[in-house]
Amino acid sequence: MKYEDIERYATLFKGYGELRVQENRQTQVTLWNGDVVGNANGSQAGISARAFVDGVWGFVSSPESDEKAIRAAISRAADNARFLAAREGRSLRGGEAGVLPSRAGRGDHDLSTDKPRRSRKELIDFVRAVDAYCVEKHPGLQSRSLHLFCLGMEKTLLTADGARAYSLIPRTTLYVGFTMEAGGESIELYDMFGGRGEFEDHFRDPADLFPRIDSLAENLERKGKGVYAKPGTRDVVLGPDLAGILAHEAIGHTVEADLVLGGSVAADAMDREVASPLVTLVDFAYEALGETCPVPVWTDDEGVQARDAVLIDKGVLRSYMHNKDSARHFGVEPTGNARAFDFSDEPLVRMRNTAILPGSSKLDDMIAGIDSGYYFQRSDSGQADSTGEFMFGVMMGYEISGGKLGNALRNTTISGVAFDMLKTVDAVSDDMDWTCAGFCGKKQMIPVGMGGPAIRCRVNIGGRA
Amino acid sequence: MEEFNGIDIARKAVDLLRKAGADKAQASLYRKEKSELNVDAGAMSLYRTTANVSMNLTALVGDRKGSLSLNRYDETSVRAAAAEAVDAARSSLGDSANDISPADTPERRETGDTDPSSGDMYDRLREFVDYSRRTYPKTVLEQCILDFENGASFYSNSNGAEFEERSGRYDFSAMFTTKDGRDVSSFNYSGASRRSLAEPLKAWGGVDELMRQSTEQTRVSSVEGSFTGDLIMAPDSLGDFLQQMDQIYLSDHALITGTSPWKEALGARVVSPLFTMRSEPGGPGIRIGYLFTRDGFRAENCPLIERGVLRNFTLGLFGSNKTGKPRCPSGGAAVIVEPGDSSLPRMIADVKRGLLMARFSGGGPADNGDFSGVAKNSYLIENGRIVRPVGETMIAGNIASLLGSVRAVSSERIDYGQAVLPWVLAGGVTISGK
Repeated sequence: MKYEDIERYATLFKGYGELRVQENRQTQVTLWNGDVVGNANGSQAGISARAFVDGVWGFVSSPESDEKAIRAAISRAADNARFLAAREGRSLRGGEAGVLPSRAGRGDHDLSTDKPRRSRKELIDFVRAVDAYCVEKHPGLQSRSLHLFCLGMEKTLLTADGARAYSLIPRTTLYVGFTMEAGGESIELYDMFGGRGEFEDHFRDPADLFPRIDSLAENLERKGKGVYAKPGTRDVVLGPDLAGILAHEAIGHTVEADLVLGGSVAADAMDREVASPLVTLVDFAYEALGETCPVPVWTDDEGVQARDAVLIDKGVLRSYMHNKDSARHFGVEPTGNARAFDFSDEPLVRMRNTAILPGSSKLDDMIAGIDSGYYFQRSDSGQADSTGEFMFGVMMGYEISGGKLGNALRNTTISGVAFDMLKTVDAVSDDMDWTCAGFCGKKQMIPVGMGGPAIRCRVNIGGRA
Repeated sequence: MEEFNGIDIARKAVDLLRKAGADKAQASLYRKEKSELNVDAGAMSLYRTTANVSMNLTALVGDRKGSLSLNRYDETSVRAAAAEAVDAARSSLGDSANDISPADTPERRETGDTDPSSGDMYDRLREFVDYSRRTYPKTVLEQCILDFENGASFYSNSNGAEFEERSGRYDFSAMFTTKDGRDVSSFNYSGASRRSLAEPLKAWGGVDELMRQSTEQTRVSSVEGSFTGDLIMAPDSLGDFLQQMDQIYLSDHALITGTSPWKEALGARVVSPLFTMRSEPGGPGIRIGYLFTRDGFRAENCPLIERGVLRNFTLGLFGSNKTGKPRCPSGGAAVIVEPGDSSLPRMIADVKRGLLMARFSGGGPADNGDFSGVAKNSYLIENGRIVRPVGETMIAGNIASLLGSVRAVSSERIDYGQAVLPWVLAGGVTISGK
């Protein structure tokens, strides 16, 4: 529920401060081979306050949200900051390191559904109906795992520099994972349904999912007959799913300003060519290409009115993603990338909706242009490094031989160094897909959106010798 | 923290669940207060204090189960939550595997400090920051976190099982990168948990040695070509592989869905006889253990793999009932890998061609145990000697095969507080460069 009169606490701030009232609500239903093994609701609610004193932060959170708790939190957050500042011998008294940049956001954004809400029983019945179809239509599967996860994050924020913002951003995903036996081994593949919005916004009739369920089973069948990728550096086409994770993991993390300060390779790359001119990469705030983003952020958790961050423009590194403190350090405007997951979490520099923009090539032509290589379609994981070296797990892909798709692939891993690999991009497709199922882990979890077209490039493949 | 009577709240919650219509009920409650100091980009940045309560209610109506979690414990909230949990159970599907733990003698345990000294925490962290700057001047502390958590856990169920544990512990983690001009090392990290601040933070986990290695890793190159070689897993990377082994071979999901390659292997040899792994939440080898499992059993030490033979899966009560296989008496965590009779230098000397790997960057392994990923913060070993640090080097193999080909386990181990792990040498790994 929106915290209506939060502004009455503005007078309690002594210097820069923030107050956030938040509740995260979750519903989960899990089926393994048709058995309901998880059936849970959850809520985490509370308040947090943060204060900035002489260049350091103090933070306090409490599950209580009455006036007494709020007053105490605001006061103790300032005490914590003063304790640290004193021990550090800092006394900047509003000097250069004590003033944070400001662009206060105000507004309400409630994305809850306007459709009639389904009961818990209806949610369970929906998942069971999907599972029943899976077992009936695809009886040869070794196992089935389905997991419905509904998350609603509701925040009311007040800051000393004038921000007052409310948001309720829901996300609903249904994971469907299959395994089958092939050659005495278990082979797995999954698909994700849903995205931004509540259950009722995405799931009307289980039959709507059946075509993609069939496709999932067919792809698993192909993968069961698949081959292992050969190790080495190869020409590849990365499908939109991998381009999205490339945008997030390989590039996005290296240009988060806190990681730049922590030693990222991007510290020395500003305004330098880091990619092919075909590559433009943006961390969108709330709207991209005329549509609301998967994870829209209108005002971030430091109260900054969020803006898009154009990270790479036609191959040249142009911006980092900032919170207020890093923007102060670099002498730039904050981008609105400060985000916190739970009420008890402090805002960190986080991505929002990170995507490579579409180009002008056709996917079929991109595949046809490879004599010997791979088309990597689906990723199941990704990690990055301060060096820009990345790794993605690939769970679905195909050999390319003579410009044509060949055998399906078993699981493999690809890697590269982002700013080297991006220079090998010689084609970018003219379409684009978003995913809204991922969480990024960096001290805290946070929902993120990732998007991209297909790109053609060279990467390292960790296959079997 | 003032004495918090959580067991009484848990008992009342069980009573409210029963009154709402549950045939069987359990309630667990965890209350914590945390004080945390952060270093970001080498500078003290944040002092954070948080408090929270997590309450989990489970209702069984017949053999149908519903759960609800909340972070309030006032009677009105718990009463509403109990009704919702019962409603969730009634909406669910019955399963005869659903149950709660049997009655047990109530037990209470208290360990560790109860009140942290913010000043002492600050001094230890400042000491570490100063040590790092002095000893490794080109290494940037990306983020260090030292926290003290004063926690109290409570469990009660309608069969009469009751546990109460109050525990104070310090956790420290350091993540760092070395930057030399424009050359940057891969980041690395380590950390540990302790009951007190008696030791300097540089001695916690593998922090100091990994920072030293980081200074050698700013200029790296890929291995040439692709070959099958040896792998020495340093304790930090071994921990990741053991977690994956649990997930693929031993866990509830792997056994219930039938995908575990070891599903019929209890009592059989599954890996090298040099490898023994125990779960010992009761200590004494584990400093930060636990009194009871998440499903309400007294946690008892047990072997998981003993001289290569599979002794226990990590099944909980539901998984055990579902599969007919024995429940893991320990809950499966607090892992100790027994030391071997080799030493790290002797293991390196025994490698003709391979890697010493401190960190593995890879996705989750496939259900058949196949893994592949990037060997991070690693060194190439040739003819018994470390040759150079490597980058852009990938490894691939199979977890069961990897642990089946273990040739040596080190006598040296790292004590992470919640796990104790050695270096392990295994063969047959595909190692590939650019």
